[in-house]
Amino acid sequence: MSAPTDDFLDQILARAKAAGATAAQALSSRTRYFEIEFDHRSVDLVRSTENETTMITVFRDGKRGGATLNGRRPEEVEAAIAAAATAAEAGVADPANDIAAAPSLPPGDHGPSEPDRAAMRAQVDEFLASLPSRHPLLRLRDSLYTFTDHETEFANSNGLRQRERRGGHGFRAMFMAKDGALTTSFNAAGGRSFTPFASLYDAAGVGRLMAECERSLERRPVTGKFVGDVIVTPHCLTGLLPSIAGALSGPALLAGSSPFKDKRGERIASPLFSLDNAPRSADFVDGSDFDEFGVPTRDLPIIEDGVLKDFLIGYFFSRKLGLPQTAGVRNSRVRPGETSLADMIAGVKRGILFSRFSGGAPNDNLDFSGIAKNSFYIEDGEVRHASSETMVSGNFQQLLQDIHAVSKEVVNFGDCVYPFIAASGVTISSK
Amino acid sequence: MLDRLVARAAQLPAYGELRWHANHSSRIMMRKGVLLANGRSRDSGVSARLYRNGAFGFAAAPADDEASLSAVIATAKDNAEFAGGHAASGALSTAAGSGSYDYRSTRAPLSAEQRVDIVRRLDEAIRARYPGLVNVDISLSSHASEKILANSDGAATYSFVPRAALVVSMSVTANDGIVELYDILGGFGEIEDQSFDEATLAPWLEDLHENLRRKAEGGQCEAGDHDVVLDSALAGILAHEAIGHTCEADLVLAGSVAGDHLGELVASEKITLGDYGGRGPDGKSSFAIHVDDEGTPCRDVAIIENGVLKNFLHNKRTAQMLGAEPAGNARAFSFQDEPLVRMRNTCIAKGNDKLSDMIGAIERGYYLKRSTNGQADATSEFMFGVNCGYEIRDGKLGRAIRDTTISGVAFDMLKSVTHVGDDFHWSAGGGWCGKKQVIAVGMGGPSIKCRVTLGGRG
Repeated sequence: MSAPTDDFLDQILARAKAAGATAAQALSSRTRYFEIEFDHRSVDLVRSTENETTMITVFRDGKRGGATLNGRRPEEVEAAIAAAATAAEAGVADPANDIAAAPSLPPGDHGPSEPDRAAMRAQVDEFLASLPSRHPLLRLRDSLYTFTDHETEFANSNGLRQRERRGGHGFRAMFMAKDGALTTSFNAAGGRSFTPFASLYDAAGVGRLMAECERSLERRPVTGKFVGDVIVTPHCLTGLLPSIAGALSGPALLAGSSPFKDKRGERIASPLFSLDNAPRSADFVDGSDFDEFGVPTRDLPIIEDGVLKDFLIGYFFSRKLGLPQTAGVRNSRVRPGETSLADMIAGVKRGILFSRFSGGAPNDNLDFSGIAKNSFYIEDGEVRHASSETMVSGNFQQLLQDIHAVSKEVVNFGDCVYPFIAASGVTISSK
Repeated sequence: MLDRLVARAAQLPAYGELRWHANHSSRIMMRKGVLLANGRSRDSGVSARLYRNGAFGFAAAPADDEASLSAVIATAKDNAEFAGGHAASGALSTAAGSGSYDYRSTRAPLSAEQRVDIVRRLDEAIRARYPGLVNVDISLSSHASEKILANSDGAATYSFVPRAALVVSMSVTANDGIVELYDILGGFGEIEDQSFDEATLAPWLEDLHENLRRKAEGGQCEAGDHDVVLDSALAGILAHEAIGHTCEADLVLAGSVAGDHLGELVASEKITLGDYGGRGPDGKSSFAIHVDDEGTPCRDVAIIENGVLKNFLHNKRTAQMLGAEPAGNARAFSFQDEPLVRMRNTCIAKGNDKLSDMIGAIERGYYLKRSTNGQADATSEFMFGVNCGYEIRDGKLGRAIRDTTISGVAFDMLKSVTHVGDDFHWSAGGGWCGKKQVIAVGMGGPSIKCRVTLGGRG
């Protein structure tokens, strides 16, 4: 497949104008993907795919319509331009609808462009050969070692042009332990990296979770119901933090449903908690140099020492809400603290090491309830046993305020990086 | 295209499938009168999957010309060799499905203006009728999966399976913050096939708003184990999350506890649960499938029959490994995806009990009406979110409850079932299931009285 060219997007913009657009933009993404899939016994699939997706947005007198296609079949490109123009004509006019004016960046080039397939295969074989001795009770399924080369190009009718390429490796393991009739919950973890992982066990804390999984065969519920502490692991935060980030986003502000809508400049979290949006960070293989309107991204503190510094507002919502654009792409980084995980555990009177949240989607008020999966009961500063059928309930607004320790240790997932966070005031219950 | 794929599939060097696959979707989304999404998308391409010594090679490209087809076959062959399977695995099932299953609408397509107008008029009507709302979200979406498949054993089939959904979410301010509730209308067919007229929408919105009003006045659940009545609107997610996933044969091979209980009593004898081809046992599910993405003709699978665990769900490979016959559960979401073991139309069979009798039989518990997301586990421990429900006190409905999550161990919880309703409900709008890939599923069932664990701060 040929790489995206300025000609392709320019042709789309010209045809969109000819179809009645007062302004137009196009975002093209070309992806080459390679995957080795395996379980605990052997490789069961090798998959390679190519795709090229182009998102066309047509603006017509303040109205907006879009169409997305893949490939470059001429009749489908024409159909997509016509559909976007028709949708724009049918749309609802809004002064916030427009293309961006921003500086065009030099093309970005991040990470390798080709995988070393033989080296990847050797790493998988080494991992599978060592697994029976390192973790004899573990069973894997749908575990993936991948390489993705992703090239993105943007153009709009203001002359804005952006282009970047990102290549990187990914590893994801899904696993459980089984010993006779004893079975643990599934757990899954993985991350992405520009360079191949030195060891697949080191990818995003997978090795630690595998060891914890084998220690979870003997599980039992916590006793009764109590209000206690949680030490939220980095892996658990990957599931929880999007709800908090969503409440700080432009769509939530437009809805008027965000509990933080009037809180800029105020303390919404413990002084120990700082959250950055860092799409330009060299730490993130899945970062981005520009957003879907072609606007260059930048790294910004969102919550600093517990104080809400800014919302996460993209181009459209910036215009709609009359607020400065602060985001467009999200890559969260919670800054590490000064406490070790061991000291955090030692400080818990009664609570859980909260490793995975399996629950209903938190509501607008950020109430949450769900099962604490792959988690451990802590009492008097010691991990006592793996938990089963244990529910946690609380509210994220309150949980942010109740943070009393943040760990030195962090896990980089390739699109975000999180430490362990200790907080109090969560209702922990079993049947 | 089918003829081309059939001809090329017959020449494959090993067992394999060739698939042309297109996903067509559209979405219009309005928040407080602001149109945030207004467009459509289409992605399509060809894929090849070849089997060699117990492992597969797969390749896909976003094109359908002969050169691209040749290239993906060659890459899939290379990938199968690279996978380096070494198992003396024997032959895969050779059952070969055929036929054309085209469910595209026969009605005149709605124009872009007409589609936006459905959403715009609805937004105006809601905000006029219920002026105290903090937020109103309306989403009108459609999705259709179109496939042409041929395999080296002679399977040859075409399908076009559409569905559409209208989602309305309303929010109000309660004394302790924002409270929201949404509901979904729609299901099988294209937008043109749905009833989004005033006569259908007005009572539906009234019911949604009344449940929201009561939810805003309600309180938190009491955390712990409770007797509950699950409305028939929830039964589908129960069938899907609690049982269906646990009985997928790839999970069984990975160690799911279901593997230890085949042939055993795992539920009340009132429970019969199956996974169905076509549009389910009553022909009314939101999803249809007749031949799966390995070319296997779809048969119904009895998973639990009168409480006894009878069968698992298979693809060709898991069926070979566990000595079973595949029944058409191998499915892929897009042209780039390989088929996985997936559910189709999964439901609990209805019984003879009345909903009112179930509520009347509970002294202190909950009536749970609507679900949100859910998740399953190898241990059969399941959970799903509940966004609408009521307390039951002395056999009568009491105050509404706020959002909560219910959980249980399926093979324990199903033994606690005392009543199975004479009602039946397929999940509105159809469900989506995530397992490496997302995929459309149908799920349904009757009202059920059982015992589960609820989360909450009450």
